[in-house]
Amino acid sequence: MSEVRDNLRYTKTHEWVEIKEKTARVGITDHAQQELTDIVFVELPEIGKEVKKGEEVCTIESVKSVSEIYAPLSGKITNINKELEDSPEKVNKSPYDEGWLFEMEISNEKEIEELLSPEDYRKLIS
Amino acid sequence: MLKRSPLHELHTELGAKFTEFCGYEMPLYYTSIIDEHFTVRRKVGLFDVSHMGNIVITGKDATKLLSISTVEDASRIPPGAGQYTVILKHDGTIIDDTVFLHIDDSYYLVPNAGRDEVVTEWLRKVADEYSFDVSIENKSDSMAIFAVQGPKSREVLQKITEFDVSQLKLFGCAKTVFDGVECIISRTGYTGELGYELQIDTSQDVISLFRKILDAGKDFGIKPIGLGARDSLRLEKCFALAGNEFEGGRSPIEANLSFIINWDHDFIGKAALLKQKEEGIKERLTYLKCIEKGIPRHGDAVEKDGVEIGKVSSGGLSPCLNTGIAMAYVKVEYRKVGDTVEIVSRGRRKIKAEIVKPPFVGKEC
Repeated sequence: MSEVRDNLRYTKTHEWVEIKEKTARVGITDHAQQELTDIVFVELPEIGKEVKKGEEVCTIESVKSVSEIYAPLSGKITNINKELEDSPEKVNKSPYDEGWLFEMEISNEKEIEELLSPEDYRKLIS
Repeated sequence: MLKRSPLHELHTELGAKFTEFCGYEMPLYYTSIIDEHFTVRRKVGLFDVSHMGNIVITGKDATKLLSISTVEDASRIPPGAGQYTVILKHDGTIIDDTVFLHIDDSYYLVPNAGRDEVVTEWLRKVADEYSFDVSIENKSDSMAIFAVQGPKSREVLQKITEFDVSQLKLFGCAKTVFDGVECIISRTGYTGELGYELQIDTSQDVISLFRKILDAGKDFGIKPIGLGARDSLRLEKCFALAGNEFEGGRSPIEANLSFIINWDHDFIGKAALLKQKEEGIKERLTYLKCIEKGIPRHGDAVEKDGVEIGKVSSGGLSPCLNTGIAMAYVKVEYRKVGDTVEIVSRGRRKIKAEIVKPPFVGKEC
């Protein structure tokens, strides 16, 4: 069974979002990492890049496939998890903690309401 | 509708995640592709490769048929031996690659998944043309194939048979009995490790035999292995995958398979190959090892100084080297070992790679 944390919000494309005031930390869900299997490469976005909700921000490659990661919200990329450049497997081992992908400054707080609740996400993957 | 292996339910029970491959639904992995990869390199793994085909050729002219239809002179291969070869069209392009095993008066071919019908039809057509006295039987739907691969494979199999497994040389084969189940054993595989393959008629209890092998291998750390690791294992050793390396029609010269061509006999496609030898070829399979992070994939362009010089036929991560590796068809004038080229990952990001000699991974891993 994959873990869905109650303190996070989610997207249909299997990203999780942790909101702290005007900043959102983003990663992929436990369910997503299980589906992707062995993650071997993460291409992170550039800090300072402005992205729109739903836009492709980075890619995650597993042994067998390539997956695009989409911006769950609009805003500016403010931080990236550089550790993943050398240890992409952290996304598998710790998708909600050490395996986070990037942080962004939220430009449109209204979009937060459109994210999925933990209950909705659980239904989506069940 | 996807075809399934007779072991499908057992795979589900063993926790397999499935994938579609050439019309079959087969295990992609059970636990982790990388973990399964190392299990085969360092211990022993058990694969269900029942998606591969089975064609049996018998009859007075069986040897003649194989000789004319493949680049091997089959009369050279005595009973108890086998050979890896390719079947060509008249234009010299590969229809399929296959191993054939010679046992008693019969030849057992293992064409690729989903290619059994094409190969059967082609062989029948050739047999007709030459009025050969042969029988060609496509038994793909009633045969299971297991591959036991890895340094401990011999010891594992020896535990469940009276047959002396160690007597088999590379490509050697025999009819024997494993735990009461009749099968053909051959010392063949697709991993570059010591390994064996068993062909079993599915009228017998194939599920019990699979379990029995897992059981016999427990002390050696055996695991069931999916197609994911099968692909990374063969790529590290630079073995061709028909759907990738022969895509669009490639000759064995282009595919770097010249070493299997026996020129001292007549075969379909020979004239075309001789012409290629004389006139030269434009592209040839080339081996690329990434020197930057990133993973090449099938279809990625290969560039030199911004100019396209080839295309990746197979790419992936080498678990043993922990780097991206690829086989690519590259224009012959650019195939210089030690040169640096760029692989354009999915049309966007360029990954620097070095042209290397095959294989990517030798004995040490």
